[in-house]
Amino acid sequence: MSAAIETRGLTKRFGGLVALDSVGLQAASGETLGIIGVNGAGKTTLMNCICGLYRPDGGDVFIAGERVTGQPPHVVAHKGIGRTFQVPRVFRKMSLIDNLLVPVLDRRASSDAELTERAEEMLARMQLIGLRHNYAEELSGGQQKLLEMARMLMPDPPIVMLDEPFAGVHPVLCKFMIERIEEMSGAGKAVLLISHDLTSIYRLSSRVVALNQGKIIAEGGVADIRGNPAVIEAYLGA
Amino acid sequence: MPILPRLRDPADRIYYTLVVAIGGALMIYFALVPVLGLNVAFHFYLMLWITMASAFNVSSGFSGYLPFGYVAFYGVGAFTTAILVKKAAFPVFLALPFSGVAGLVLALLFAPTLRLSGIYFGIVSLALAGICRLVITNMPEEITGGSFGLQLGSRAHPVQAFYVMMAVMVAALAVILWLSRSRLGKALRATRDDAEAAEMMGINVPRVRLYGWLVAAFFPALCGGVEAWYTNVVDTETAFNTLTTAKTVIYAVAGGLGTITGPIIGSVVMVWLDELIWRQFPLLNLLILGLATIALVLFLPRGIVGTILRRKPQWRRYVP
Amino acid sequence: MDQLILNGIVNGLIVGGVYALIGVSLTLLYGVLRVVNFAHGEFVIAGSFLAYVLFSHLGLPPLLALPIAAIAFFAAGWGLYYVLIPRLSRSDDPELMSFLMFYGVSIAAAAGMLLVFEADSRSIDYTFTPISVPIGPIYVSTARLVALAIAVAISGALAMFLFLTLPGKALRAAIMNPEAIQIMGVDIVRLSAFAFALASALAGVTGVLVALVFPAFNAFSGPDYTIIAFIVVVLGGLGNPVGALLAGVIFGLAEQLATVFLPQSLAQIVGFAILVATIFLRPTGILGSSARK
Repeated sequence: MSAAIETRGLTKRFGGLVALDSVGLQAASGETLGIIGVNGAGKTTLMNCICGLYRPDGGDVFIAGERVTGQPPHVVAHKGIGRTFQVPRVFRKMSLIDNLLVPVLDRRASSDAELTERAEEMLARMQLIGLRHNYAEELSGGQQKLLEMARMLMPDPPIVMLDEPFAGVHPVLCKFMIERIEEMSGAGKAVLLISHDLTSIYRLSSRVVALNQGKIIAEGGVADIRGNPAVIEAYLGA
Repeated sequence: MPILPRLRDPADRIYYTLVVAIGGALMIYFALVPVLGLNVAFHFYLMLWITMASAFNVSSGFSGYLPFGYVAFYGVGAFTTAILVKKAAFPVFLALPFSGVAGLVLALLFAPTLRLSGIYFGIVSLALAGICRLVITNMPEEITGGSFGLQLGSRAHPVQAFYVMMAVMVAALAVILWLSRSRLGKALRATRDDAEAAEMMGINVPRVRLYGWLVAAFFPALCGGVEAWYTNVVDTETAFNTLTTAKTVIYAVAGGLGTITGPIIGSVVMVWLDELIWRQFPLLNLLILGLATIALVLFLPRGIVGTILRRKPQWRRYVP
Repeated sequence: MDQLILNGIVNGLIVGGVYALIGVSLTLLYGVLRVVNFAHGEFVIAGSFLAYVLFSHLGLPPLLALPIAAIAFFAAGWGLYYVLIPRLSRSDDPELMSFLMFYGVSIAAAAGMLLVFEADSRSIDYTFTPISVPIGPIYVSTARLVALAIAVAISGALAMFLFLTLPGKALRAAIMNPEAIQIMGVDIVRLSAFAFALASALAGVTGVLVALVFPAFNAFSGPDYTIIAFIVVVLGGLGNPVGALLAGVIFGLAEQLATVFLPQSLAQIVGFAILVATIFLRPTGILGSSARK
């Protein structure tokens, strides 16, 4: 069986800078793949290439075995990828309910009432239900991260990508988010988890890929990565 | 989809009650204007500006564009009706729909500009309106009437034109009401707030923007056509007057972008003020319009309805 | 034919010098304040009217009007800044709202000039001696050559100011990174007020030159110059003063040569077409590097 999500030889250049250099990785359903690396290692570029925001200069992206390279982002999204952003990108002047409806607007089979009901369930799970009619811009930074997570889960995508979900988030909220991420992989989703914070990655991931200057420098189980000299060097500097 | 959605939410009930109340009051009032012998010209232009400002709101309030060449749609619509009636001997009622079509065609021609944003879009829009005006000015005199313009002759019928304008306004408001509640409207708003994020959430951004743009272009073109019929004369100077764009933008912003009532209230207040000022100080009219715009931006940037809703966010769900 | 082309080139350089100044002042304003001055053309025409009043009522020649315009417009710009801009930055989308607000300024300014000077076109009957100077086979009016010389001098002085003096460097730094410059301890409000005043002064001075170069002006000439300013600024790259100077000359040449080969009204379309094409094909302007992903 093919992996839920796979990249082969993914390469992206910005001018002379090679942001991604032949990156190949895959994640199966129910698996959490941690992607670590210092700032500028290429983590977010990788995500943007996968979801079609950037057109890679080389290599391919496969979703459930189907090649999606070069497809526009909305097409890739419909293949079953949801994502969050390092700095939350909520729809500021829309209510929380409407924010959640955005990814499922083209579901002609479901009525507005059904979708609204599901949105309310998702908001309840993220403990945001009391604010459902507020504008998204009225939420705190941490709450916006939760809103993004709920929005991402709305269409029930088989693949989710989380970009630095814990950055700047209060420890109590971190714990809450970790539980939600565990639920996602428990529900059989392939989770790509980007972070430069190793503790949470090590806790959640079954496998870890370490990026440095756009290249994969190490790959394996948490134990392998933890002791890997190349990773330690990349993090602490030579 | 049922015509009226199932009103599960009590907020929706209030919302639609308000829609029916405001819409009904507007329609009865305007319908009675010629009957009661009120000022037909004033109310004709009031409806025209309500339509223009409301359609503009689809482009800027819902979609996040500020087309400073908005008058292009109006002008092309005016000339379409005038040319068809004068040169091709179309009956007015047959010519008017072609004005709408001309607006849509122009919108399709301008569609590539939708990938621009912010001031670039505004500047390009302004330039394109300039090009439209120059192209029509340079067309052979036999078609566009040159600098004298086109006179429609004996076809004037102010009361008929009044009711047609009313039909256009009601149609525009109905479409915008539907749009603001529809999935397309939500997709437009999401695109306005963050186009890239919306695209990654599965929204076909170029298509959604195009739909919004077509709605925003269709109604001003119709307005241009009806106005040409009402005044019986069209020339490039008035049909492509930048002040048309200015007034549209100012009235819409005065009421508040993003809501349906905003541009209506903005137009009512501003057209009434405009009339008042014009009657009192005809010479100062332009000056006061300019100063009012400055004051609006500085002291009421969210407009009348927008400011109220900012003070009372809990009302948002009830106000159309 | 050659004579016509030479004429086009000389006139292009002269007009281009004026366009360059119009553009550079608008681009400074946008670069530092991120506001789009829709009323820029009216500022320029107000300068022309000032020169007109000084000449026809006080008998002051246009060359003396230059320093007076510079000082008056600098002061007016400084004041206007504090009336308009600080409140503007509190709105949701200052850049677009600035467009709308200056739209209002443009209408109000045109209406104000209309009230004072009425709708008639005005011109300044000042003549230099000799009235024209031969350049090869063609004759060029002295007033236009003087205007060109002044435009070149002002551009040079402005470039020296921006690249060699401390406040000039601060302005350029503010254009590149407005956040960083605040951290460096520069008072951004004062700097912005200065930029607004400087841009206004340049616009006023340019207005005096407009009165020398172009046959006439009236209260409604403003929008024509605003559009020209937009074309020049976009062509030169938003917020790039050197680009604007260069683009002004290029556009002046293009426009004047277009009038040699095309009918007047079509030549007008050339300007709009250049504007639209630049934004689509090279949004960073002639000097900018391509910013496309």
